[in-house]
Amino acid sequence: MGSRKGFFTDTTLCIGCKACEVACKQWNQLPDDGFHFTGMSYDHTAHLGASTWRHVAFVERPVPLQGQTSGAGDFSWLMMSDVCKHCQRAGCLEACPTGAIVRTEFDTVYVQPDVCNGCGYCVSACPFGVIDRREDDGRAWKCTLCYDRIGDDQTPACAKACPTASIQYGDLDELHARAESRVRDLHQRGMTDAYLYGKDAQAQPGTGGLNAFFLLLDRPEVYNLPPDPVVPTKKALRSWASVAMGAVGMVAVALGAVAFGREGRG
Amino acid sequence: MSDDTLLDRLQRKADGRNIDPRAGILEGEGAQQRVKDPEPARQGMGVLTTVPSRSGPDSAGAPSYYGLPVLKEPLWIWTVPAYFYVGGVAGAASVLGVALEHLGVRRLERLAERCHAVATAGDMVSAGLLIHDLGRPSRFLNMLRVFRPTSPMSMGSWVLAGSGAVNTAAFVLRRMPGALGVMGRAAGWMGAVLGLPLAGYTAVLVSNTAVPLWQQVGRTLPLFFMASATASAGSLLSLFPHTDAEERVLRRFRIAGKVAEAFTREAVELEARQVAEVGKPLRTGASGALWALSRTCSLAGLVMDVLPGRARWKQVTADALTTVGAVTARYAVIQAGKASARNPQATFQGQRQGLGAAQVEGNTEASDGKPLSFPLPVLGQGSAPRAGMPYARFMATRPEP
Repeated sequence: MGSRKGFFTDTTLCIGCKACEVACKQWNQLPDDGFHFTGMSYDHTAHLGASTWRHVAFVERPVPLQGQTSGAGDFSWLMMSDVCKHCQRAGCLEACPTGAIVRTEFDTVYVQPDVCNGCGYCVSACPFGVIDRREDDGRAWKCTLCYDRIGDDQTPACAKACPTASIQYGDLDELHARAESRVRDLHQRGMTDAYLYGKDAQAQPGTGGLNAFFLLLDRPEVYNLPPDPVVPTKKALRSWASVAMGAVGMVAVALGAVAFGREGRG
Repeated sequence: MSDDTLLDRLQRKADGRNIDPRAGILEGEGAQQRVKDPEPARQGMGVLTTVPSRSGPDSAGAPSYYGLPVLKEPLWIWTVPAYFYVGGVAGAASVLGVALEHLGVRRLERLAERCHAVATAGDMVSAGLLIHDLGRPSRFLNMLRVFRPTSPMSMGSWVLAGSGAVNTAAFVLRRMPGALGVMGRAAGWMGAVLGLPLAGYTAVLVSNTAVPLWQQVGRTLPLFFMASATASAGSLLSLFPHTDAEERVLRRFRIAGKVAEAFTREAVELEARQVAEVGKPLRTGASGALWALSRTCSLAGLVMDVLPGRARWKQVTADALTTVGAVTARYAVIQAGKASARNPQATFQGQRQGLGAAQVEGNTEASDGKPLSFPLPVLGQGSAPRAGMPYARFMATRPEP
């Protein structure tokens, strides 16, 4: 028990079948979100949420894939199965005032539903906009990295269902090695745009690295990922310093008002 | 057997269908979600005239994912900005109360009493407002389950709980003789010590989020909230009937607060404006209008206060204006934060201009391993798209005929 687990999502292999979305909904018995059309693309899920823990993004680009020609002209699809990143420095975890959000023995980030009181602070604290609160439930929910499966040495539902091994689950060290060799392979084949998003603290210092990291082909913005995310806590010290400064000012004003106002002529 | 399910009966028939009844048991993680209705329908998008991944609605050339938000909008309802005001008043009043108690003369004793009353009442109302905002109000005590320094909300819960306890003790006990009175006055001291962070931590609370505008104003917002709390408490206490001697103290307290509020407000605005898309909600839309209204009211309240003349109506108008300005400022900050969370470009541009992790980590590369820079070069711009392609009408540059 206790080795670091994570996801490696290789977007070059994703075919946009949404089997991961379905498997996730089914295993975790997540309620439906209504059946709505976004009217913009094949993506009718639009974003991760309280009852959507995997989301396949469909990116349309007016440029061909590197090293490929197609009859459709200068056009290519990019598909990415998005998920909670299980950050090393998790904004939600560090913001949670109740201790409902914990780091598990698998180094993943987990929300305990029996503790969460629905304050909503984690929702604003997540730099990726992953965690959300369901209005009628009143609690925050997100991907558990199938905490109930991996404890029994089972693969999380999404990775199990993925037909192209775009979603790979395993020990983080092993995934890192696999991802790096995949990038080397792609670069050799001429796809030099390929890079790993959030693999470790060096690649993404703001989050200290992601346990669920991605292989991408275009800038993060295109996939709706922040280009330089930071856990808000890293910037908290300067705000607390301002509070200390303000406190000195407030004491000075209160003491001054009384000292000069008690005898004065007004 | 009446509690047999359909699955049980099918199973007993052993007709070869082999349905495992356990498949019907709701025990999955998400099955705990209480659902009355499916989520409300999202707004459909209009017909796109540009390639979605290549342009945002706000700035052409800056990519986004169909202009959809990166972040989730903060969920806080009206009670939270209301609490920012009430908590600020309570904190500042408890500080003034203790200052009066220890530096003041006998004729100021009634004002000190009133300060403690306002602080105590403010703490009580604050707790109510915050509990009302929770998704599960019955679990409000979970706020005191852990002590987590990384979470301003955890710190604030402890400060508010402590402040409420000691301010109540001070209010009840401080006039009593003997040991009880000593305890009451000591509690008053602790109330003042806790009142300082109570007036300011709410700004840390909002700036310690991923919301671009709130994160951006992390240095100045605490100063603004604390100055505004001083002005608000001074104005509120001045709205109660008071003597001339009390007026001399209150006048100095509230005018210092109002002047500081005016200056720190401009500092907040300057800090927000460093990135165009981040500062936008303070200038445009409903949040911009609220912010402007708040500034007008606060400035009018200050000007009326310092103008010569001691008529009671003038005083009441000035303090009412300051109060309205302080309350609307809290609502404006919350609304503007929600607007900036909805705008993906606010997140992208701020981070590309080095205000994301680069601000604290000093990294010069974005997460794609390329240098941070903005605006980004548009891919594929070199070759003009060929006419006759089915998607040519989506192109930013028109195809050559």
